[in-house]
Amino acid sequence: MGNSIAENIANFLKEYAPFNYLNHEELIQVATSIGVVNLDKHKNLFQINDKLHDSFYVVASGVITLTVIADAEETLLNKCYPGDVFGLRPFFAKNNYMMTAKAREDSIVYAIPISTFKPFVAQNPQVLDFLLESFATNTRNPFDKENRGKLITDNVYTENQQNEIQYFQSLAYNKTPLKVTITAIAKDTAQLMTENLMDNVIVTEQNYPIGIITDSDFRSKIANGRFPLISTIDKIMSSPVITVPENVSVAEAQLLLLKHNVTHLCVTVDGSDKSDVKGVISEHDLIVAQANNPGVLIKEIKRSLSPKELKMVREKLTDLIQSSLAKNIPIPHIYNISGEIITAIIKRSIELSILDLGSPPARFAWFSIGSQGRKEQFLLTDQDSFLVFEDVAAENYRDVKDYFLKLAKRATAILEKVGYEYCPNGHMASNMLWCKSMSDWMKQFNNWMKTPGDKSNDISSIFFDYEFVFGESKIEDSLNDLVFNNSKNNALFFDFLGNDALRKHPPLNFFKKFNLEEEGENKGKFDIKNKAIMPLVDGARLFAISFNLRGINNTYLRFKQLAIVDPKFSEIYLNCADAFLILSKFRTLEGLKNDSNGNYINVDELSKPDKERLRNALGPMRELEELIKDKFQLTQFS
Amino acid sequence: MLEWLTGSNKYPEFWKLYLAKFETKSNRYVILNTETTGLNPKKDVILSFGAIGVVNDVVRIGDNFEVVILQYKYLHDNGMSNEFLIESKLTKLAEYPAIQSLVDYIGNAVLVGHRIHFDIEMINDVLEKMECGKLKNEALDVEIMHQKLMDVAKPFSLDDLIKHYKLPQAERNSASDDAYSIALLFLKLKTRLGFK
Repeated sequence: MGNSIAENIANFLKEYAPFNYLNHEELIQVATSIGVVNLDKHKNLFQINDKLHDSFYVVASGVITLTVIADAEETLLNKCYPGDVFGLRPFFAKNNYMMTAKAREDSIVYAIPISTFKPFVAQNPQVLDFLLESFATNTRNPFDKENRGKLITDNVYTENQQNEIQYFQSLAYNKTPLKVTITAIAKDTAQLMTENLMDNVIVTEQNYPIGIITDSDFRSKIANGRFPLISTIDKIMSSPVITVPENVSVAEAQLLLLKHNVTHLCVTVDGSDKSDVKGVISEHDLIVAQANNPGVLIKEIKRSLSPKELKMVREKLTDLIQSSLAKNIPIPHIYNISGEIITAIIKRSIELSILDLGSPPARFAWFSIGSQGRKEQFLLTDQDSFLVFEDVAAENYRDVKDYFLKLAKRATAILEKVGYEYCPNGHMASNMLWCKSMSDWMKQFNNWMKTPGDKSNDISSIFFDYEFVFGESKIEDSLNDLVFNNSKNNALFFDFLGNDALRKHPPLNFFKKFNLEEEGENKGKFDIKNKAIMPLVDGARLFAISFNLRGINNTYLRFKQLAIVDPKFSEIYLNCADAFLILSKFRTLEGLKNDSNGNYINVDELSKPDKERLRNALGPMRELEELIKDKFQLTQFS
Repeated sequence: MLEWLTGSNKYPEFWKLYLAKFETKSNRYVILNTETTGLNPKKDVILSFGAIGVVNDVVRIGDNFEVVILQYKYLHDNGMSNEFLIESKLTKLAEYPAIQSLVDYIGNAVLVGHRIHFDIEMINDVLEKMECGKLKNEALDVEIMHQKLMDVAKPFSLDDLIKHYKLPQAERNSASDDAYSIALLFLKLKTRLGFK
C-alpha cells in the first residue's frame, strides 16, 4: 500500500546528510518507521541522565538547542535547525544521555528508530562517518569547526574519552609534565623548572608519582635557608601528590584542589599513585576552563595573530552574550563586558596592522563611533570609526596621511574578516574624509556645530558618540573640550540635533498598531532599530551634550545620569533607560535567533505578552519627544 | 441472547470483529480525513480517505491508511470528471471494500479529525447500506478543541488552524496530507488542553 506521507518525509530527508547517501527505496523504508513528535516551546525532548530513547532525531521544523550542565550552569552546545540530526548517543553508547535537548521554539522532530537505521549505517560507511562526526560536534561545540575531522577519529569511540570531551574540551592541561627522580638535587631541579618555564615538577619512581615540587616548596624550604641548595629532592617535595584519573571533571578537580588545599593535581592512568603519570592539572588550567569567561577572551584576543583567531573569539563572545541573556544577567553589565571585548578586538586589529606596516610616523588616536562607541553592541553590525593624527609639518603631511590611510585600510579589512561589515555610508577611518589631522578635525567639528545643516546634511550624529580605542589619549581630551566648548549656548546646534532626533517615523500609528515596513524585503516587519531604538539614542545624546555629561556614551547610562542632573524630569529619563534596555533585548534576541543584525522584528511571531511589552517600551519615547520640543526651541530646521 | 432484538447476527463478519475490539480500551488515536463530493450525507459520496495513527503523543508514519474510492457511478451520474481517480497512484477500492478496510484499520481507536462528525456521518451512511451498525468509536474534533482552548465559538477552517499554530505548510493536496497536518494540530491541542 502506498504511503504518501512517508513519501513526503523521504523527500524532505533526502536533502540532508546522512540521508542523501541512501536511495529512494531505503528512504521510504526509513520514513515509514518514523514517529513524529511535536514539541512546544521550551519543552524538553530528553534531559541529561534520561535513559536512552530507542530513536535518534531529525529536526523537521523549529529549533532545538542542545545543552549540558557544567558547574550548575546551562551551557549551550549547539542549535539544531531543520534537517539537523541529533540525539545520536544510542548509536554509540549505552549509558544515559549526557545533554538536554530542548525546543527553543515550537518544533516538530522526526524520531527514527535506531533498529531501523542501524543496517543502513553498517552498509554505508559514509553514513557512519557522518553520524560519528555529528555525534562529536553535538557533544561539545566550542572546538572550532575545522577540528571536526580530528575529533571523530580520536575521541568518540570509547566511553572514557567521551567523558574527556564532555569536561576537558577547553581544559588544556599539561600532558608532558616535568619529571625528576627522587635522587635529583634541588638546585638542578630549580634550574630545570626555570628552563622549562614551569612552576611544578613531578617526582617519580618508575614513572609512578610519589611527590610534587612547586615554586612554593622552594620558597618555604630552600629560600629561607631550612635546607641547603644541594639537598636531594625527597627532602623538600610535597608528598603524597593528589592523583586523579584522566577523565576527571572540571568540577571534581576543583573540589579536590579545595579539599586538599593544593595547587596541582597529578593525572595518572588509573587515578591512583600506583600508575603512570599522564599529566598535571594546575589551578590556572581550571580557571581557563571556566568556559567563555570574559577575562580569558580578552587574553585570547591579545595573543591572536590572525583575523581568523579574532573571529573565533568573536564567535565565543556571541555565545557568552547569549548565555548571559538566558541567565538574565543585567543588560548594562553585558554591554560593559562585550564593549570591552570588542574594543580589545579593534585594538588588536590595529596592533596587527601596525606590526605589518611598521611604527606610525606620528601620534594618532583611533575612535570607534556609533553603537560600538556607545558600547551598545551585541550583534555583528557594521563598523564605524575615525582616525585623528597629530599635526605635522606641511611637507610631511602627505606621507603621514598616506600611512594612516593604509593602516586604517588594513585594520578595517581585518575587522571585516572578523565579521564586521564595512559601513555602507563609509563612516570608517579608511575613508579619506574621516582620517585627518587634528587641526582638520577641529575645523570639521567646528563646522558641524557652528553651521549645522549647512551642506553637511549627510553628517551623521554618530560622530558625537566617539570612544577612544587606541593611540594617544590626549587627542580625545582635546576633542572633548572642543565639543563641549562649542556646545555652550549653541542653540543652533541643539536645534539641529533635536530635529534629527525627532525626524524618525513614529513606531505606532494612530490606532496604537505597530507601523510595519510597507515594502522591501522586510515587508511586514517592525524596524526596531530606526523606529524605536535610534530615537532614544539620539535623544540621550542630545541631552547628554546639552548637560555637558562627559565621558558617558552609553545610552542607558546617559539616561541614568540625566535623571540625576535634571531631577525635574527624572521619571521620564528613567523610563527611557528601562525602555532602551527592553528594546535592546528584543533586538538582540531577534538577531541571535536569525543570525542577523536584528534590525527588523517579526511582530507576528511575538507572543501576546511580548507584544505588549514591546508596545509599552515605546511609550516613554513620546514623553522624551515632548521634552525635546519643550527644552530646545526647534525652529530653524523644522 | 438479545441478538434477535439488535439483529446483530445478521451483521457481516468484519463488523462482528470490529465490535469485538471494543472489549478493550485503546490508547491509539486515528486521525481521519475524508474527502467528499459535498456536504450532504444523503446525496454526496466519499472520494478518498487519509488516516494516520498517533500513539503516546507520537505520529506513527508507518501506521497509515489511504484509499481512493472508485465512485465511477456517482461521477458519471453527476457528469463529473473521473480524471483524478485514474491519475491517482494510491490504492483504489470500490466503496464497500474501502469502508470495510477502513473499519478494519481504525479498530477501537479514538477518531480525530476536523469536523469529524460529518466524516462519521458519511461513513455511517455507507455502513447502513452495508447492513452494519454505526461506528462506535469515540471522536474528537480539532476545531472544537481549538474553540475550547480559545474560548470562542466561531468556526475555524483547517487552514485557519494551521496558520494559527504556525505549522509548517507543506504541500497539502491529498487527504493524507491533511490528515498529517491534523495529527500535528491534534498533538499541539492535546498538550495545551492538558489531557492524556
